[in-house]
Amino acid sequence: MAAATSCASSVSIAASEASATQTPIQFDVRPRVCTLSGKETQCETPIRAAWRSTKKESLCLVVANRPEVKRCWENFNKGTYSIDMVFSDDLLIELRDTQLQTVLTSQAIKVIREALEYRRKRRQPWNILY
Amino acid sequence: MLSRRHPSFRFALLIACLISLPHNALAECDGADEECVPIGKWDLQVGLGVGMRSNPVIGRSNIPLVVVPKISYYGKRFFLDNLELGFALHENQFSSIAIVATPGYDSVFFARFDPQNLFVAGSGSAASAIAPSAQPTVTPDDLLKRKRRLSYLAGPEWNFNYGPVAGQLALLKEFTGRHDGTEVRAAIAGELLKKARGTMTASIGATWKSAAIVNYYYGDPTYYRASSALNPFAKLAYTQRLNSKWKLNGFYHFELLDDAIANSPIIEANVINTFFVGVFYSF
Repeated sequence: MAAATSCASSVSIAASEASATQTPIQFDVRPRVCTLSGKETQCETPIRAAWRSTKKESLCLVVANRPEVKRCWENFNKGTYSIDMVFSDDLLIELRDTQLQTVLTSQAIKVIREALEYRRKRRQPWNILY
Repeated sequence: MLSRRHPSFRFALLIACLISLPHNALAECDGADEECVPIGKWDLQVGLGVGMRSNPVIGRSNIPLVVVPKISYYGKRFFLDNLELGFALHENQFSSIAIVATPGYDSVFFARFDPQNLFVAGSGSAASAIAPSAQPTVTPDDLLKRKRRLSYLAGPEWNFNYGPVAGQLALLKEFTGRHDGTEVRAAIAGELLKKARGTMTASIGATWKSAAIVNYYYGDPTYYRASSALNPFAKLAYTQRLNSKWKLNGFYHFELLDDAIANSPIIEANVINTFFVGVFYSF
């Protein structure tokens, strides 16, 4: 069952340092985390990805294990992409070359489940609203 | 030193056993179970609908039920459930024993803005009558004017459930210095119909009130002295979850007043009817 989801707002994410040394691409994904609370089981949230480079690039944005999500640019130095997604585990968003062989940079949206303990609700048939 | 056969020793042993019983309800609950609630989280719901509780007291208006708030909080053992507080001594999948503090419900008929007319809760009133005194010095009007204050009762409560059946038994003693009365609440409920989102439940039960409670609300030392009372009730309720936030709720509750209350000069009906149809929103 898809539950309504509250996602934490994110801060802009720069591409990892390791990637930055290999590519001049800056890659931002929002939100950065999605927090599931109570009985929620899935994140349902719009995702916005934006990249920028100091030179023109040909690349594609893909989501790991989600082949249906793909957006490519040819000779651009920036791009944005927004999509509504439903997911229950960490989501890895990647920028790859147009042959999808090499990962240029990537960012993950973390799914955080609140560590809740549960107990039985008091059942009280004497109560008028039970 | 106490003998092992001594009643005090046995009682102390029983209490010690109850308190030391494993609090294993935690392990058996998860977020997917509708009967389970997260520990440390407030639950606030507001009901909006059409409803009414009849008022058996002469000259007093029926009590409208239009906005019905519900608030609860569960700690590991402590809980707050609307106007009731409790501390669980023992819990498992099938039963729980708790010490609870709960308001007496008779005051709802005398004060329109009694908190219990906001947080709708328990079954109304109850008492077998002792004949009125021969020389009344107090009139029914005087009786009606007398101030009845909200009282709180406390004591052990046992709740049990087995599949579609749930039961409740509470032995309560008033501790707020109003009347020093005692009350016993007992009820059992069963699911008549359960579908994916809807449940129809029927309940029967009774409330026994000591003469002290009945006389505080419905009697007078010189004009009308009542004995204890037993009020049986029956209820039919239906709940349907519409989505994760909204649910539909409707119920009809019928309570029969014991003669000890019905015969009071300030009472004009021997039944209390309560109904409500509306929706609840969960925040």
